[in-house]
Amino acid sequence: MKITSEEIQYIAKLAKLDFTEEEAVVFAKEFDSILSHFDNLDREDYTNTDMRERENAISVFRDDEVQPFKDQEELFQNAKSKRESYLELPKIVE
Amino acid sequence: MKVEAMRIQDIQKGYKEKNFSAIEITKDYLDRARKFDGSIKAFISLNEDAALRDAEAIDARMLKGEEVGLLAGIPIAIKDNICTRGMKTTCASKMLEDFVPPYDATVVKKLKEAGAIIIGKTNMDEFAMGSSTENSAFTATKNPWDTTKVPGGSSGGSAAAVAAGFAPLAFGSDTGGSIRQPASFCGLVGLKPTYGLVSRYGLIAFGSSLDQIGPFTRTVEDCALSLQAIQGQDSMDTTSYKGKIEGQYVSELQEDIKGLRIGIPKEFFQAGLNPEIAKAMKDSMEVLEKMGAILEEFSLPIMDSALSAYYIISSAEASSNLARYDGVRYGYRSNSFEGINELIVNSRTEAFGKEVKRRIMMGTYVLSSGYYDAYYKKAMLLRSKIKDSFANAFESYDIILSPTSPILPFNIGEKLEDPLQMYLADIYTVSINIAGVPAISIPCGFSRSKLPIGLQFIGNHFSEKQLLKAAYSLEQQLGIHQVMPVLKEV
Repeated sequence: MKITSEEIQYIAKLAKLDFTEEEAVVFAKEFDSILSHFDNLDREDYTNTDMRERENAISVFRDDEVQPFKDQEELFQNAKSKRESYLELPKIVE
Repeated sequence: MKVEAMRIQDIQKGYKEKNFSAIEITKDYLDRARKFDGSIKAFISLNEDAALRDAEAIDARMLKGEEVGLLAGIPIAIKDNICTRGMKTTCASKMLEDFVPPYDATVVKKLKEAGAIIIGKTNMDEFAMGSSTENSAFTATKNPWDTTKVPGGSSGGSAAAVAAGFAPLAFGSDTGGSIRQPASFCGLVGLKPTYGLVSRYGLIAFGSSLDQIGPFTRTVEDCALSLQAIQGQDSMDTTSYKGKIEGQYVSELQEDIKGLRIGIPKEFFQAGLNPEIAKAMKDSMEVLEKMGAILEEFSLPIMDSALSAYYIISSAEASSNLARYDGVRYGYRSNSFEGINELIVNSRTEAFGKEVKRRIMMGTYVLSSGYYDAYYKKAMLLRSKIKDSFANAFESYDIILSPTSPILPFNIGEKLEDPLQMYLADIYTVSINIAGVPAISIPCGFSRSKLPIGLQFIGNHFSEKQLLKAAYSLEQQLGIHQVMPVLKEV
């Protein structure tokens, strides 16, 4: 299979990444070699196999208890900017 | 005894006999790290002040004769993708360069309760994607045995920290071999526990159905003790195991392994395996046979396709796990953008490294319409088959033996431009994560060029006790765990 740089650009759009045309060409080449390795999946027989990844999964519930976080500064330390007790964000809605 | 040669049990004995204090031990390790880490680069950050404060507190408690935890006064290093409250947790990425978690991972909480002293956060491949620790956004870690070689990855910083004697214990995460392969490259014991045995809460997610946290130590006994400290059910992780688990692993380590049935999968010993590694495996097998274990060759024909399934499943999970990094709430934000879409695209494009982008792209591709059936669905079907293959094997054998890596530690830069070659280095480790079973890598010899060789024992789900017992027996017979690398100051 041959991956084109157009396909790379389409996947990049879905993944919210941006590539220059040169980067896309390199990616396409690397993808080709990796995907052709993946083709060994076709050598397996799946007739009696089914997807049962979550067969033993049990939902776990916790009580929804309110726990006040004492140190507001610590809680908001990763916010880029703050105004009084509000998080300040760039304008993102058109 | 020099601090770099100490095992956890040596430190504990020293505390008990009042030969030294936790402050002295912690200072010694920090001094050593400051002196030699310039040439190794195991750490992203050191936690000097807090570590000394913690050591002082532990000393006070030990002096009062208080009951202290399993790892009281033991300095530890933690991979930088495990959240530590108030300490930067970067995932070795520009994306999280300034991220300071407001909470501790469950493992970190347990380690603190056990009295361990965190001396620093270790380098890794960005977001744990890689097998050489060269994909770090900050620096490449060197192998303490030969600084022109990689330490393995993705937990290469944790492995290098223990091998270089900066700490007796470090923690990493293993999604497809990221603990076992660096343990093998650095001559250490590294354990990937059964999926669900150790909580993933606070471990920054890569492949959620594959990730597990585990220890790096010099000896199997230290490994057993460390697993005891971190395991157990956790309501913060829905995949945490809810059944009964072994309470302790140390006391029965010394039992003999007479009659232990060990399966040797012949596919793990074919073309592509370095002959020096093959020879070391053969020597260890002879030792095990002499000790009364019953070795038998069998077929486990899943290896090539398992590697494909692994890269498809892990990349698919990574592409959705890493969708959260949007530049809006926390993490890196681009300076130039117009509107929400550009904010997200530019932030991600500027902050993610090449390999991370490659995995996100691969994951997005295999999940995208038109390719889902050809790749993701097939990989998931194969996952069922791989699980069955292991289940069948464990009907006949107690343990499976294989090399940890097909190759010796390679040169820095050697595989960086060829992603497929880098992926092939994980061929013996990835199927274990897909099946969710535990595996341990222990040092079993050296190459002629004095590079460590690792041997992998694979067990059935929750058979860590047996796995550790077999590893301990072999380790004691081989007697190479006291050998250490010689470091140079820069």
